[in-house]
Amino acid sequence: MSENLEQSFVKQLKDNQNIIHKICRLYTSGDDAHKDFFQEITIQLWKAFPKFRGDSKFSTWAYRVALNTAITLYRKSTRSISTVDYESHSFFISQEEYNTEEEEQLKLMYKAVQQLNDIEKALIYMYLEDKDYNEIAETLGISEVNARVKMNRIKGKLKKILNP
Amino acid sequence: MMEDLDLLKKDWKKNENSYQQISEVDIYKMLHKKSSSIVKWILIISILELCLWTAISVCFNTDDYLKKIHGDSYLIYFKYLTIFNYVVIAVFIFMFYKNYQKISTITSTKQLMKDILKTRKTVKYYVWYNLGMMVVSMIIGFVLAFSLNPKIHEITCNTKVYFITIVLCGLFLILFVGLFWLFYRLIYGTLLKKLFKNYSELKKIDL
Repeated sequence: MSENLEQSFVKQLKDNQNIIHKICRLYTSGDDAHKDFFQEITIQLWKAFPKFRGDSKFSTWAYRVALNTAITLYRKSTRSISTVDYESHSFFISQEEYNTEEEEQLKLMYKAVQQLNDIEKALIYMYLEDKDYNEIAETLGISEVNARVKMNRIKGKLKKILNP
Repeated sequence: MMEDLDLLKKDWKKNENSYQQISEVDIYKMLHKKSSSIVKWILIISILELCLWTAISVCFNTDDYLKKIHGDSYLIYFKYLTIFNYVVIAVFIFMFYKNYQKISTITSTKQLMKDILKTRKTVKYYVWYNLGMMVVSMIIGFVLAFSLNPKIHEITCNTKVYFITIVLCGLFLILFVGLFWLFYRLIYGTLLKKLFKNYSELKKIDL
């Protein structure tokens, strides 16, 4: 039974691992930190897996546990290396060529996002993943109206970082 | 600005499948690695604290001393106090267990933080309770010693010595409680710093 559970978990996590990679990307810099964080999220997911009923998608369930791990449980600082350029992230393989101007802009954007705090990153993550405000609010435990307000403030903050 | 974020979103989606994939074998390996989450550390430290204070309150036995100074008539009260103490210990351990069980990564972030802090608080109150009991026991002990022990009773006739003794005892108590407070600030300050920061950030959103 427990072996079946383990098998099913590993398979589902393997198929949905990009969710975790994306969260690692937002919260850490560098391969080692990425791997370490991925491992901690995996452990937390595995611990919570017996309670996973399957009434939501594995991916939805997984990203919530992962965000909770990032914001609350993970002891190591996830923000210490915020100045590293995102290209040094070899975990992330760039696929296509960008035009230089766009590429430059993206680089700055990623850098700016790295400077946000843990909660703001969570909101940005859910925004990038097209989650609606109802889901964002529910995940963090705040009201929907305030989630919208906060999102607007984060946009303002990013703007400020990009155009000081 | 919206343009920027849209650009980011586009790039984010485009690169969705470009992360180095981790194999099933590696995931299996990860499952058996040790977690370094703060909940684990809180559990370890809390259990140590519960054990330590329970041990202290069990070992802190006044019966023999009372017999020695012929205070047998007070023994019955101390028996009640001991029973009361055990009940309180049991209640605290039960509450700690209940609160710890509630901690779940599936709830909302805010709820998770609240549950962690609640578990933490249970142990904190337990430690304060024990410190309080210790101070009370010490005061009762001093009072009894002063009134029952003939040798000490002689000393108390000298008001100056009496006064100095009381001041020294008071200083000792303050030092004792102060050290504990410092110890707490250090351990939990470092452990919960991030949690407190993110918790207050979350609360600010809902203000």
